[in-house]
Order: sequence, then structure tokens, then C-alpha cells
Amino acid sequence: MFDLLPHIVNGLTLGLLFALIALGFMLIVGLMEQINLAHGSLFALGAYFAMQLTGPRPPFPQPLAQAWLALPLGWRYAATLVIAPLAVGLVGIVIELCMRRTYGKDPLYGLLLTFGAAMVIEEVIRLTWGTRDYVLQVPQGVSGGFLFQDLIWSTYRFYAAGIAVAIIALVWVIIEKTPFGATVKAGAHDSEIVRALGINLTRLRLAVFVFGTMLAAVAGIIVAPIWGIRPHMGVDAVIPAFLVIVLGGVGSFWGAVVAGLLVGLCVGLSGAYASEWSLLSMYLLLVAVVTVRARGLWGKKSVLEA
Amino acid sequence: MTTIATTSPDAKRLITPSMLILWLVLATVPLWISRIGLYPYIGIEILIWSIYALAFNLVLGTAGLPSFGHGAYFGIGAYAFGLCQFNVVANLWVCLTAALVVAGLAGALVALFISHRRGIYYAFMTIAFGQIFWTIAIKAHGVTGGEDGLLKIARLPANFGVTSFDLADNVAFYYFVLAAFALAVIGLWRLVHSPYGRVIAAIRQSETRAAHLGYHVWLYKVSIFTLSAALSGFAGGLFAMAQLAAFPDVMSLHQSGYVVMMTLVGGGLVSFWGPVVGVFVFLIARDVIGALTNAWMLYFGLLFMAVVLFRPEGIAGAVAAVFQRHSLQSIRRQGGSAMRLLLGGERWR
Repeated sequence: MFDLLPHIVNGLTLGLLFALIALGFMLIVGLMEQINLAHGSLFALGAYFAMQLTGPRPPFPQPLAQAWLALPLGWRYAATLVIAPLAVGLVGIVIELCMRRTYGKDPLYGLLLTFGAAMVIEEVIRLTWGTRDYVLQVPQGVSGGFLFQDLIWSTYRFYAAGIAVAIIALVWVIIEKTPFGATVKAGAHDSEIVRALGINLTRLRLAVFVFGTMLAAVAGIIVAPIWGIRPHMGVDAVIPAFLVIVLGGVGSFWGAVVAGLLVGLCVGLSGAYASEWSLLSMYLLLVAVVTVRARGLWGKKSVLEA
Repeated sequence: MTTIATTSPDAKRLITPSMLILWLVLATVPLWISRIGLYPYIGIEILIWSIYALAFNLVLGTAGLPSFGHGAYFGIGAYAFGLCQFNVVANLWVCLTAALVVAGLAGALVALFISHRRGIYYAFMTIAFGQIFWTIAIKAHGVTGGEDGLLKIARLPANFGVTSFDLADNVAFYYFVLAAFALAVIGLWRLVHSPYGRVIAAIRQSETRAAHLGYHVWLYKVSIFTLSAALSGFAGGLFAMAQLAAFPDVMSLHQSGYVVMMTLVGGGLVSFWGPVVGVFVFLIARDVIGALTNAWMLYFGLLFMAVVLFRPEGIAGAVAAVFQRHSLQSIRRQGGSAMRLLLGGERWR
């Protein structure tokens, strides 16, 4: 049993990361009933922006770049955690402006539009940064490892899991405990009444979408040091995100978090026995669950199954 | 989903005039294709992908089921063709049948799991199964050759008993694929316009209503998915012959996405020929734009976004709309304004 501990811990931290990756996807699916397949590409874009910002050649004019490079890495990293998601949010605005035309139609159109957007973003990434792998620098404090029970543990994994918990909690507070969250949820529930109350739903939807894309970017920055930065990372992220949402059930916040943890555990534990096949386990888990439960674990009725 | 004109004046025919014209044009392709800077192999590729896209459109366009993992069946067909050739018997007909049957069985297995599901859950289950088959293809080195693929697949001769044709040459193989394409088109045209196809179209419009009319919706969904997978596998078998190998990358999510894009850009939702148009545009664009720039996926992605936003019925739909606008009847309808336009020409005197 004790041999399994590292795999369980590993699986749980991975699960928290999966939940973090799925968070922005879930927000857009749950509150707007739209599937954003560009989520993975925005995730990748966040990681690339962060790499460029913390790297030796920041995308600033000369004097500012020198001042920026003079800062310690920790400060630059912290600032990047804010700047990169904001930049990705701008891309999110563009996608939402296009996506507007598909609202009220079959959700398939939104899905296909964002599939096209994902292709475009991935190709832009390839053109800008090439196909080689990059490494995101992280501050000294969170890199490296430590010894516990005669095993070496990576500090960064625990830091990433901690950040994931914090962001999940933050998003929960925003949705459940603020007036903004209440209006957004009301808008998803009954858009006509919300409009009749004088709330600008168009702007609200834009805000939700941009918030979702920024969460994708944050997830990208947090996960990048573990997975590495390469053009394909978008696809590697969007499929688990989609899977976590379907497994947890559309419209369920805790469903997504639990599903993320389950998927992480599943991949972590199967990795202990057959590392070659560990990715397969999450699909088998999904098939097993969805065969029995039509709407995933705690899914609600939505237009997405019409 | 966009409205679909399912009634065609040719619905009752076995072979329609448009089929005949298309076949005749396609039959002349090897004569001139080299002169316009292309090569016969792309003709083979277009025809095989056309069969595949037409098969895929049974699920997406006819039945309205969002399947995003269809590459799996195409790939399974390719592997089945190769493995049958190596391990069972090196006979063209047996191997192509194996491709058809094995992919059909895989499709039936998946359909059993997913046909009770709808919308996003259906779509993602197809992706999940697609990924499962793709992972198996990559990881089962002993059977599939892993990421290197199954190499040295031969183009077996087409033996008709009395005579036998060697298909090693691209032009000969092109005509073989064209014959297969013609048969597939006839079969699909009859299928779509049969009573069975009508029920499938009814299920697309409303599952609930079809169920209330007494149709066993689940069985129809399973059967159409199986048929589509089987025909995709057949196309995959031909593709293995074309490439002389079977590779796992046709089973990836990207490639499964391409067939969706081709079908939609061409207009598979509104027209029987939509998928063929889409394949043609996609593969020619890949070669022509791809020769000019590395970033052809960028432009195709932008084109695809534009199609989804502005012309969701695709190229075939847009062309049909143009024809409708310029048809005699609508000119008559607009006669008044046309007359005014003509009279307005007075000032030019």
C-alpha cells in the first residue's frame, strides 16, 4: 500500500491541474452553453506569452525591457501571471465577437467556429515560435525538490496544486458569492428576464468568455513547467478539459472538480502499472461513467444535448 | 441545423445525370492532370477521401449525429487491409472486405455504447472512442507497428477471374478507385433516398417525434453509425493501398477534425455532393497553398471560420442559393424592379 502513496499524491496533484485546466472551459460551457474548443490553444498561448515575458527577450521597447530584466525573476513571474492572461483575454474578446453570430443557433456552430480558431491560433504559434520545445523559467523558491520519507518530491508540483486550489476557490467565490456571479447565472438561466431588468447581457457574455479565456491562460502558465511548452500542448489540454466537463456533467461546478481529481487519480495510478497506457485509462473511465449515467456525474439539463 | 432540401427530382433514379457527368469528368482526369501542374496521385487521394467524407456525412449530415472521432474507422480499415494481407490471404477482395467488416464491427461496438446519448455527450463519446483506438494503434507496436505504421502494404492485383489488372501504376489504381467511388455513390444515393434513409432524416429533425411515430430510434442510430464506419473502413483500405502503408496519424483528433471540416465547408449538411466538393477544395488548397506557404492551415482555418460564420450551409449551399437567385422564376418575381432598371437606362441615351 505504501508504495502507492507517491502515485496517489502524484495523481491528486495532476487531478487538481486537470480541474484547473477545465475551469475556464467549464465556465463557458456552464454559463453560456457554448463549447470553446479554442480553450487548449488559449492555454498554449498563455504559456508562450509567459515564456516570452520571463525569457531573455521580453516583447517591450528597449528602455522598458532593460528595466524589466533588472527585476528579480520572482517579481517578473508574478507580474507575468497577470499580464499574460490579460493579453490572452484580448484574443478571447476577438473570438467572442465572432462567436456572437452563432448564439441561439445549434451549439455545433460555436464548437466548429472555435475549432477553426484553435487551428488558426496553433498555426500562428507555430509560425511565431517554431516547433521546438521551450522551458518556462520559474522562481527559485518553487523549483527544485525536497526529500520526504526517502523519496524526492518536486516542489513545483505542490506549488502548482496549491495555486490550482486557490484559483478553484476564487472562481467558486466569484460565481456563488458575488453580484456578478448571480447576474451571470441568472443570464444563463433566463436571458429574457435578465435583459428586461436592464442588464446588458451582451457585455455580460463577453465578460464571462474573457474570464474563461484568462483562466485558460493562467492554467497554461501553471502547467507549462510540468508539461513543457510546444505547439501541441493545446490539444493535449483541451481533450482532458472536455473530458473532465463531460465526466463531471455540464453545468456542475463540483462535478468538474471531482471529475478532474478522478481523472488525475486514474492516470496517476494506471501510470504506476502501465505507463504506456495511462492516458487510455481516462477515456475508459469516461466510457464507463457515461454509459451508466447519461449526463456524467452531476450534469444538468442543457441545450447542449438537444 | 440548417434546413436541408432532401427532395431531389432524381431521388428515384439509380444513376442520376449529375453522377454521370461527374464520372465522365473524373474519367478524363489522368489525361490532363499532369498538364495543370498536379499529379495523378492527388486524384486518387481526392476520390478516397470523397468516399470517406460521403460515408462520414451519413452520420453528420443525414442523421445529424456529431461524430468527431471518425478517423478511427478510416484507420482501422487501413490496418485491417494490411493485416489481412500479411496474415490471412493476399487477395484484394478478401482484404477490402476485411477492411469493411472490421471497421463496421468497431463502429457497431462504439454505436452500442453511444447511441442512447445526445448532443455534447454523444460528441465527446465519439472523441473518446476515437482517442482509444488511436492510442491502441500507436501503442500496440507488435500488431500495428506503432508510430512508424504498418509498412510495405502491396497494391494487390484486381482479379476478376477471367482477367486480372495490375494496380501498381497510379493511373490504373486511379481507375480502380474511381470504380469503387462510383459504386459507393450509387449505394449511398439509394440509401439516402430509401425509406430507411427517410427515417434517418426524420430522426435528425426530431428524435422524440420519430420515436413517437413508432420508430426504434436507437436501432436506427446504431445501424447508420455502423454503416458509416464500415464504408469509412473500406475507404481506409483503399487508402492503405494508395499509401502502400497504414499510419496511425489518420486516426488522430486533428485528422478526424479535417473530415468534419471538409464535409461542412463543402456543404454536406444541405447537399449530397457537399462532402465531395469539400474534399476537392481541401486537398487542392493543401497542395496549391501549401506549395506557396508553410502556413496553409492558417488560411484554411480562417476560411473555415468564415464559412461557419457567414455560410454555414457550405459551398454547395452557397452555389445552390446563387442558382436559385438567378433562376427564371425569381427573375420573373423581380421582373418589376428589373423593368425599372431597364427604364432607368434612359438617361444613357
